[in-house]
Amino acid sequence: MSKEFICSSCNFKTQYHYFGKKPPFVKSLVMMEDAYIMKDPFSSEGGIIPLGSHCTICGKSVCLSLECSIFYTKRFCVHCVKENISEFPLEIQTEVMKKKNK
Amino acid sequence: MPKEKKRQRSPESSYRHHKHKKRRSSDERRQDDCRGRKHDNHKSNEPRVNISESKEYFEHPRADYSEKSGCKDGARISVEERNGSKVAAEADNSDKRMYNEEEEESEVDVNFDFTKYKQSLNRIFFRESDLLKRGSDNYNDFWTFLVKYQDFQRKRAGRKESTHTKLKLPESKFGLPRNYDTCYRLNTSVISKDVEIFLKKGRLIDAEVDKELTRARVRQFQNIFLHYIDFAHKQKFAKLKKIRQDQENLPIFQYKSIIVEKIKEHQVVVVAGDTGCGKSTQVPQYLLQAGFENIACTQPRRIACISLSKRVGYETLNEYGSEVAYQVRFERTRTKSTKILFLTEGLLLRQMTSDPLLTMYNVIVIDEVHERHIHTDFLLGVLKCLLHHRKDLKVVLMSATININLFSHYFDDAPVVKVPGRLYPIQLEYCPIKRGEQNSRSDRLDPSPYLQIMQKINHKYPPSERGDLLIFLSGMSEIMAVVEAARMLAQKTKQWIVMPLHGALSVEEQDKIFDIAPEGVRKCIVSTNIAETSVTIDGVRFIVDSGKVKEMSFDPKYKMQRLQEFWISRASGEQRKGRAGRTGPGVCYRLYDESDYEAFQEYTTPEIQRVPLDSLVLQMIAMGLPDARKFPFLEPPSLQSIENSITFLKDQGALTGQETLTPIGEMLSRLPVDVVIGKMLIMGSIFHMIDPVLSIAAAMSVQSPFTSRAHTDHDAVAARKPLESEHGDPFTLLNAFDEWIKVKADGHGTRKWCKRRGLEEQRFYEMVKLKKQFKELLQDHGLLDKIVEDQQYLTSEERRQKHGERKKLGELRKEKAKESRKRKFLKLEEDDYEVSDGEADDQESDVKDLEFRLSHNLNKLQETANKSRNFTLRDINLLKIILCSGLYPHVAIADDCNSYKRDSEQAFHTKSKPFLLLHPTGVFASHPELLQPTEDFNSMSGPSATSELKGRSSSKHELLAYVSLLETNKPYLMNTMRVPAMQTVTLFSNYLDTSGNCTRIVCDGWLEIQFVQEESAEHVISSVIQLRATWQNLIRLRLQDTFQTSEKEKKINPRALKLENVLAKKLTEFLSSDVQYTIRRILAAEIQHLYIGPDRKADNMDNKTDDEQEKEVHISKITVRGKPHPVKGGIQINEYLTHNCLLDDSTASVWGEYTVCMQRHWTCPRCKTSMIVSYAERLQHESDCQAQNITATKEEETVERQEELHTQLNQFRKSYHCDICDKTLTLTTTEILKHKKTHIT
Repeated sequence: MSKEFICSSCNFKTQYHYFGKKPPFVKSLVMMEDAYIMKDPFSSEGGIIPLGSHCTICGKSVCLSLECSIFYTKRFCVHCVKENISEFPLEIQTEVMKKKNK
Repeated sequence: MPKEKKRQRSPESSYRHHKHKKRRSSDERRQDDCRGRKHDNHKSNEPRVNISESKEYFEHPRADYSEKSGCKDGARISVEERNGSKVAAEADNSDKRMYNEEEEESEVDVNFDFTKYKQSLNRIFFRESDLLKRGSDNYNDFWTFLVKYQDFQRKRAGRKESTHTKLKLPESKFGLPRNYDTCYRLNTSVISKDVEIFLKKGRLIDAEVDKELTRARVRQFQNIFLHYIDFAHKQKFAKLKKIRQDQENLPIFQYKSIIVEKIKEHQVVVVAGDTGCGKSTQVPQYLLQAGFENIACTQPRRIACISLSKRVGYETLNEYGSEVAYQVRFERTRTKSTKILFLTEGLLLRQMTSDPLLTMYNVIVIDEVHERHIHTDFLLGVLKCLLHHRKDLKVVLMSATININLFSHYFDDAPVVKVPGRLYPIQLEYCPIKRGEQNSRSDRLDPSPYLQIMQKINHKYPPSERGDLLIFLSGMSEIMAVVEAARMLAQKTKQWIVMPLHGALSVEEQDKIFDIAPEGVRKCIVSTNIAETSVTIDGVRFIVDSGKVKEMSFDPKYKMQRLQEFWISRASGEQRKGRAGRTGPGVCYRLYDESDYEAFQEYTTPEIQRVPLDSLVLQMIAMGLPDARKFPFLEPPSLQSIENSITFLKDQGALTGQETLTPIGEMLSRLPVDVVIGKMLIMGSIFHMIDPVLSIAAAMSVQSPFTSRAHTDHDAVAARKPLESEHGDPFTLLNAFDEWIKVKADGHGTRKWCKRRGLEEQRFYEMVKLKKQFKELLQDHGLLDKIVEDQQYLTSEERRQKHGERKKLGELRKEKAKESRKRKFLKLEEDDYEVSDGEADDQESDVKDLEFRLSHNLNKLQETANKSRNFTLRDINLLKIILCSGLYPHVAIADDCNSYKRDSEQAFHTKSKPFLLLHPTGVFASHPELLQPTEDFNSMSGPSATSELKGRSSSKHELLAYVSLLETNKPYLMNTMRVPAMQTVTLFSNYLDTSGNCTRIVCDGWLEIQFVQEESAEHVISSVIQLRATWQNLIRLRLQDTFQTSEKEKKINPRALKLENVLAKKLTEFLSSDVQYTIRRILAAEIQHLYIGPDRKADNMDNKTDDEQEKEVHISKITVRGKPHPVKGGIQINEYLTHNCLLDDSTASVWGEYTVCMQRHWTCPRCKTSMIVSYAERLQHESDCQAQNITATKEEETVERQEELHTQLNQFRKSYHCDICDKTLTLTTTEILKHKKTHIT
């Protein structure tokens, strides 16, 4: 029953319950991307935690932490963002640069 | 709300800032904490989103809100658009469209206060069908978020005037909008009909909305809302990731594959790791991940089971499921889907009685084996045997790195996986106390060396460097001495908050040690060895180790517990030291010399070698391990200790001569209590006095509800006065419990009530639970009837109230879940410390109170409590006898000279231990006058006679029954109760030795009773024979019933009911008899001249005439068992009674000889046979005849049958008491009316 989501960038592994845009457990939420979704284990009120998605460019699965991917109307893995940095608005460029310096 | 949030956050953060940089984050540390911690405050466990972290979210580079566009963007992305995938393409168009419209509003927007329009916004955004429901936690969080978000926007707007010019750039190749907007960063959208409708039409269909809420503003609000959702998701994801990271950062993570591998290969594996390596939380998870199911993890402490189950449930994302569960004495969360179960060692052992091969588990993890509790050791032995029968069972032993080889060798050199702990370097300093410095005179500990170290810390370490001090002392009085002195110092320096920590503190007080000291102030926790393993306190940097421990040892000779001070073991010393290095580098000061340390014993003596083994031996036999002497103990206890326990169990009637279980023993082995208490419960149910017995048994099984304050605080002592019972401590406990129920039933708060009286309320809740458990056990075993709870008919008002309570409980629980992990700030007060926030405590208690009210029918509870308060003296005497049936031979007799002594010097003697004192916490210690016999002497009672107790005859002599003996600085009687002397000893003594005419009885070889009149002596002996026989037979019958398996057969034998009636009646009679007698203790020196002995007996025989000898033969014809006692002489009538074996006082000897041989007419009260018999013959007949009362005599049968017939004739007849003719009649309703009529006419 439980399927596993693995982030190709940070190796974070965990089970997920749904993949797609419209998680059936929460009627009033819609994802803007096909996402891996987990039912919220930290609450009894029913909710979801989006875990990650596939990179639009390379198709690898990445988790949504900022070290691994960026969402800007679509999901991009950090690697692909760096490769195509000029295609992104300035704000994202500086953000990625800052992180590099860290 | 925001303010509160801040407070919740700040302790943590300020704490963290102070830490040495090297220290790990507090969350990581928490991993280890739940081991044995009372309240693991891992805040990350909070289900809610932590808004206080939102600042980081805003400040993140991607969230550049400086542009004015921040507002307009909200408008741009409408729900419909976002649902589609062509967002980007359309975005720029709509951008243009909206731009002008937004421009003039933008200034207002940042300052627009949405919170004023909550009601309208509720209608648009937060309906029942929506994601966030009004009033939910998330909803409240959202509003907090909104305020902060807007604050942030305003700040940004003010700081940075936008100089940004919109560039029209060519579209990127991925179709990305060139003009950056935070909205593009959100990957979630919300569907809501109401929002859609409003954005289209500017109004709602079904509700009015404030005018100020324009469409643009609602869009802006929607935008904030989406940001909140995104923020919440991100935060929860971060939490997920953090769990994994924390797990991977634990030292044990490196050993995961090795551990799993070894377990797969071997049947037994030892995992040895020091505090903080993560073994307790991780190993069960590793097993689960490796595919094992049905994993049992034992813990020595209940509290650890609960906190570990919570922690592991959280880490395996099963917080709201039951895959990870716990089961302890009173509570369980276990379900069918449970895969990891945390339970106590005792419980696992108990499960073995019903499931000897433990087939319900595949893996058994035994944690903390190094602590060597009696149950741990026993469990290891049992498992060693079990492994032969279950080759598929895996056993994992988890231990600190203490004595690992012992465990490994025990299980045929099981492989050991050693995991390094996470300990920071600890600087060690030996500061031995010089002999001369110690004032050897007083018992009191000299606190000055401890203060010197506190001052040293003040000088050496700047107050800005955090880190608390933990002092290890041996016991309470030592702690109080140091606390007192340290508080004086604290008052001067304002750098310390001093608090004690020991087992007798209330739960509340104990919890205070987890609170946080204000800046520049250190906590100084003065503790017993409880802080060595059981309680883990974070943030301790300094340790002062006295090197001493007070340990309970057991003296089997006197059956006395002894609290003695010892040097600790080296292992213990290391453990204490290690407590300084849990969260950073630390310092440990040892107040002894290094050479002392070297001389310490290596390991602490295991518990099994220090405590009585009664329960253990009983349990072994019940589990089918017939010979405790041959049990493969890890380190065996002394053989003497085992033998003592076997003897004790035999004396208690739990074991037969062949060391198999008697019915009572069988029953006792199933009750999870001490043998003594188990026996009381059985007797209580047999005598239908169960409720008060349950209460007292429960009270004796939990820690005393009296806090350490209870006996020093004068107000508390005074307030408790009405609860004190003149009958003794068990009755005082009963009163306190009943009164507590009553206060609750009256609808008053019990928390304050308890506090005022120095009582710990928690204990009462435990008692209620325990009572229920005892009751169920007795019912399960057929000793109590299962009373089907009569349907409660509630009025609508009551129902409404119940409903309200239930709702409130739900709310309170939620609140509690939110608050409980919050550590409080301590305030530096004048000479004491105070907790700044007492509300949470109230809440905690409130939840318990409501839970209690909902799960119990208070009226009913009060009814039973009232019953016990309306006790007649007769009831109390019966209750005492029931309690004594368990406690005997725990009785003590007052010293002859007590009336000349001061209150605190009242001395008592038991059979084996002379000169015991009353413990100062007992009722009699403060009211010793209650123990002076009341003046009913028929002789002259002048003032001189009062004090001259020795040899006084009275019918009111009393003994003290006690629960235990405890030696601290002096030997004390604990939990005492006064009981009628003659009745108690004659009923319960294992041996009664009488003189020829039975006027002198020696009970169990140490108490001598001398009756004034011969007739009364005869009467007493006859009563005793009848009572004891009936008692035995009744128990036999009742227990026979209980072992019937089928439900149908479980009905109580009618004969048993009959016997019960006889016994109750006879017992009451016996207890209230006012026979005059004297009682004294036989001194050791007298024993030699006490008995006639076998030789003298022979002389007697020779002296008899032929005639007499003929009669002797005649006697032996009717009484086969009457044999001379091999040691004492005389004739052994039955297993307890030996007649005419006492060497009479010279004056009475002639008479004695004479009466023995004299034959008289006598009619047996039972079989009605008339005979001419000597005294011995008569006793013999009575004993034999009464022993057969398990079946009815013919005469009794006919009477019974008649009665039966009578009731059968008309079962509608009930007993009716007519006041006019003062008779109780058995009549039907119509007959009652007729009867009444007769009086009228």
